[in-house]
Amino acid sequence: MADLIAEAPTAPPRISGTGSIQVRNLSHVYVGRDGESPALADIDFTVEPGRFVVLVGPSGCGKTSLLMMLAGLREHSDGTILCDARPVTGPDPNRIGVVFQEANLFPWLTALDNVAFPLTLRRVKTAERRRRAQDMLRLVRLEDFASRYPHELSGGMRQRVSIARGLVQDPPVLLMDEPFAALDEQTRMAMGDELLRIWSETRKTVVFVTHSLTEAVYLADEVMVMSARPGRIIDRIQVDLPRPRRYETMSDPRFTALRDRIWRHIRAERA
Amino acid sequence: MPSPAIARWLIIAALIVLWEALPRVGAISPLFLPPLSDTLRVVVADWPQYAEALGVTLGEVAVALVFACGGGILAGALIGGLPMLRTLLLPVASSAYAVPLVVLYPVLTVWLGIGPESKIAFAAINGFLPTTLATAAGIRTIDPNLLLAARSMGATLSQRITRVIIPASIPTVLAGLRLGGVLVIVGVVVSEMLTSTAGIGYIVTRYRTVLDSAHVFGAVLLIVLLTLMFDTLARFLERRGAAWQPHLASRERSVRRAPIGEVAPAE
Repeated sequence: MADLIAEAPTAPPRISGTGSIQVRNLSHVYVGRDGESPALADIDFTVEPGRFVVLVGPSGCGKTSLLMMLAGLREHSDGTILCDARPVTGPDPNRIGVVFQEANLFPWLTALDNVAFPLTLRRVKTAERRRRAQDMLRLVRLEDFASRYPHELSGGMRQRVSIARGLVQDPPVLLMDEPFAALDEQTRMAMGDELLRIWSETRKTVVFVTHSLTEAVYLADEVMVMSARPGRIIDRIQVDLPRPRRYETMSDPRFTALRDRIWRHIRAERA
Repeated sequence: MPSPAIARWLIIAALIVLWEALPRVGAISPLFLPPLSDTLRVVVADWPQYAEALGVTLGEVAVALVFACGGGILAGALIGGLPMLRTLLLPVASSAYAVPLVVLYPVLTVWLGIGPESKIAFAAINGFLPTTLATAAGIRTIDPNLLLAARSMGATLSQRITRVIIPASIPTVLAGLRLGGVLVIVGVVVSEMLTSTAGIGYIVTRYRTVLDSAHVFGAVLLIVLLTLMFDTLARFLERRGAAWQPHLASRERSVRRAPIGEVAPAE
């Protein structure tokens, strides 16, 4: 306990205005056994700090690939990716946290140890590690489940642990790859509200990939629509619906109009 | 109908009673099956001899286990972890599994003599393959998404090995060790029965040739106990090492904890 008090808050306060993403002329050519095929082309966009951007597009358009490139987990053929004006060349959990479709928790670690895992990789002291992981569990409202193993948690809870793990090093950017796709609809809607609450408390820059157009409009400040392969960004839709968003927001005529606009793009691409 | 646990114990109790009763009433000749009480009596009377033989056998089992498990885990990790070695060696290892290894034992006695060395070598070879195959399988079946997640958190290659690959493969490796360990015991006892001058297998063979069934069954009883003890220990380790695995852990944990639903305050 004495250790805990002596180590007071150590997480540096985040400099406001960090967490910008710039993608310049990014393209990718997939080289497989049957030769080369273009996967992504002319991707060029900027995300301002603190924005919630959702990527949608027809299946196989490369939106997950693009997200993995932003995370530094996959190579791209051409172009640059900058995060806070510095190039992304590999995974960097201090700048970018990642949440995957499956929660990908380590089944042999408790919820608390899963959240603390990125810190154990950098030899953060045990007491501080515990404190920071507990803070994150509190943020996702799972402080009472710290000693549970992943198989003892529901799907929604596992995904919240995964979000806590992505945020534990306080990166300014959070990348999310269809994080709620494996959840049932009710849990999914609750998780959307939960994510918006966490986002409004932390003000991270979020890039979120999804198949669900309703989810896209409900969450986003801006929806980027991608074309079929090779993926390009064919429309950037500003979502000016008021926050906090509620269930009723979904029956707002503006909500429906935005979703229709995205669907028309995707239907055209699928044809 | 009694519960399965009680029924199991009843079956064991019935076998013990039959072991004593059948030869006593003359249903089976004591030459084929000496009564349990006679068997226990000779074990107690000749305990120094049995104890010495058990000591020899246990020593051989321990050394062979180190070789079989150490070598098996190492070879399995290499075969499972390196795709090139896997394509080269996995088919060979799987086929070798089908060979009756006991044919090697005469060769080993020529090379190493009839002392403990040939028994250790034979038993180690016997337990090596299952441990290798289990370790290789354990490493190959690790969810690649876990490694991707670790990479996104900045884990280096060595951190991915020590913090993801090793803990993830522990349950499979322990299961392989249990199988390998039993085969090591089989290897030691069989080789002692074939050619040797000491050990519990030697006692079986020696008394069998003079038709002293009580002594033979005494040795058999000790081998059974030895194997059961090993198996219990291995199961215990397996449960400990795999406490996080749902099918092993959840039953006992859920007794102590409230059922879990989607009950967190946020939802």
